[in-house]
Amino acid sequence: MILLNKSKLKNSALIDEADSLKNAGFIGKEQLDFIKKELPVLNSHNNILVRIGFFLLGSFLYSSLCGVVSLLGLSGMDESWKIFPYLFAIIGVVGSEILTKQDYHNHGLDDAFILGLQLNIGFAVGVSTDGDNILAITIAVTIASIISYLRYVHLLSALVFYLAFTATLGYAIFDFLEAGQAILPFFMMFYGIGTYYFCRRLISKLDEPFYYKGIVLIKNMSLILLYFSGNYLVVREFSASLADTYYEVSPEIPFAFFFWIFTFGIPVLYLFFALKNKDRIMLWISFAAVAFSFYSFRFYYSVLPIEIALTLGGLVLFAIAFLSIRKLKHKETGLTFKPDRIANSNAFLNAEALLIASTFGMKPEVKSPESPMEFGGGGFSGGGSEGNF
Amino acid sequence: MAKFEEQATQTLFEKNFITEEQLVQIKNYRSSGIFSLNAELKMFLYLGVLLFTSGIGILIYQNIDTIGHIAILSLLLIVIVICFYFCFKNSKGFQKSETAFESPVLEYLVLAANILTCIFIGYLQFQYKPFGTHYGLATLVPTLVSFFCAYYFDNKSVLTIAITGLTAYVGFSVTPQDLLKNDFYSHQDLSYSAVILGGLLILWTIYSSRIQLKTHFNLIYLTFALHMISIASISNLVNEHKGIWFAFSIILAGSSFYFYKISHEVKAISLFVFMIIYAYIGINIFIFRIFENIDFSDIWVLFVMVIPAYFIGSIILFIKLIKNFNKEIAE
Repeated sequence: MILLNKSKLKNSALIDEADSLKNAGFIGKEQLDFIKKELPVLNSHNNILVRIGFFLLGSFLYSSLCGVVSLLGLSGMDESWKIFPYLFAIIGVVGSEILTKQDYHNHGLDDAFILGLQLNIGFAVGVSTDGDNILAITIAVTIASIISYLRYVHLLSALVFYLAFTATLGYAIFDFLEAGQAILPFFMMFYGIGTYYFCRRLISKLDEPFYYKGIVLIKNMSLILLYFSGNYLVVREFSASLADTYYEVSPEIPFAFFFWIFTFGIPVLYLFFALKNKDRIMLWISFAAVAFSFYSFRFYYSVLPIEIALTLGGLVLFAIAFLSIRKLKHKETGLTFKPDRIANSNAFLNAEALLIASTFGMKPEVKSPESPMEFGGGGFSGGGSEGNF
Repeated sequence: MAKFEEQATQTLFEKNFITEEQLVQIKNYRSSGIFSLNAELKMFLYLGVLLFTSGIGILIYQNIDTIGHIAILSLLLIVIVICFYFCFKNSKGFQKSETAFESPVLEYLVLAANILTCIFIGYLQFQYKPFGTHYGLATLVPTLVSFFCAYYFDNKSVLTIAITGLTAYVGFSVTPQDLLKNDFYSHQDLSYSAVILGGLLILWTIYSSRIQLKTHFNLIYLTFALHMISIASISNLVNEHKGIWFAFSIILAGSSFYFYKISHEVKAISLFVFMIIYAYIGINIFIFRIFENIDFSDIWVLFVMVIPAYFIGSIILFIKLIKNFNKEIAE
């Protein structure tokens, strides 16, 4: 099923491992260079900036190719324009096949074609059914994305697959079941738990590492889905938007108490199991879930004015971090504050300066006197910010 | 999780890439079961500072003109003094090279103290106008404080605040979300000051590497300089005023050449990639301006046909450039 050169794919994994071992200081630079020279690998970019750049270029190329095809086919067609999205999808398939055969993998160019082909298949089915059969679209995208994932081992396709598949199930329940709306949250909860355990079983049985990352991704997505399907805010607003009786405030939902317990219980459970099983991704999901739970609560009950809540929240967070650091500082094994030599998650620390520049950066106080007043009447003179940012 | 990584290490050993001694070391390390919360706890500290300072900022803003504002202001001053007291007490003093506090908590304390100082000065200016109508001064003073903190405590985050303050003093904004919103197009002089300030930042990096002063700050200065110069030049490439766009395309070409050299020197792929992106945009606009007088109405079919070939050509060129870059920084 895998179109990529398997031995090169394996070599890429070996090089990644050697890279992290070198960063951890277990092997030297000469050793790493030697390994890199000996093992032929796929054309990939680990740097996200480069990958995004090539993704953009690939998208330009893809759309310009589509433009050429439309131009050639445009003459003498009136009803058959519906065929075009299929042609675009075929361009995507051909492009993906060629690029993958040329050993492009996670390069950016291949991302553009693989994702583009899925988009165009969904688009094509949508045009053929005049856009009123959403189920058909999601089914088509589900099939296209799972095939692209299995064939090109393209991680983002696995994400698209899980989202499209979930949407398919959701629409199916809605369309074909009488009480679909009432059982949707519970169905999604069980579905999330089900996929989680299914993925865990798959991982433990996996012999070859190729599909490992995709399954881990879906496993963690199912955790997110489980949380959202029981989150009070999501359930209440979603059911309100489906019912027509929606004025200013969404109506209270049945089992509200259960959903509140779920909203605050799940993040705690995630946190506990993440620390117990040493699962870093789950840990981050639990942080995000805690934050969203507080947001949900404040959405309905404003206990404190926002500025007091922010100030106190900041102090509490700082204190928690400070105390944890003091406690974990001298531990050598298990939970620790020492940076992990092999798997360090430095992405945040690198982005920190950028985040600070965007949140606290100073802006010009007063615009320069010659502001372009001649262009518009009033209301264009920039007030500027008033010193606090 | 660890299953396939251990397998990979084993394969590396079997293929004779790593020695048995190394394999044993790695295995020992893995079996100690370390789960580091380093990045997570640091993020908590950062978020704590972020929430606290934003909360304080709003609190002061809302209580301006009420009885409580003196109380809040004095409280703020006390907090600032306490923060700075701890920072100075634990700091090793000014050093020319890269230094760090023993505890990472203090780094965030410096950040908090610095932001609070900026808020304090901003509030003072708003309420009591100690700088009169010299609004620039009210920006310059926090900027100078930030530069001092950045160099004394060796804090990159504070340095970025200081640079944004410096550009705000000149009259434009370089925070990532506002960088593209600056009205370089209708403010000719703003573009000149952006280019000149960018040039000065570059000169400062050259000077500080000569006297070995905090050379690890250079990347930040260069990043700001690259974005400032390039965006100001590109916005002026579409300028209708005769000759100006040509002058700015020369500036863009010069800066791209410089950043091409310097990104190899400091081995920074982020500089390299952004330099390429800006240069590519610039070249495209340049070509467009050259051809803008030609009437395309007859040959637009040909034009659409040529575009894919043009993109394929650019992709091949970029692949070569990146490959070349990776090879050179590996040496």
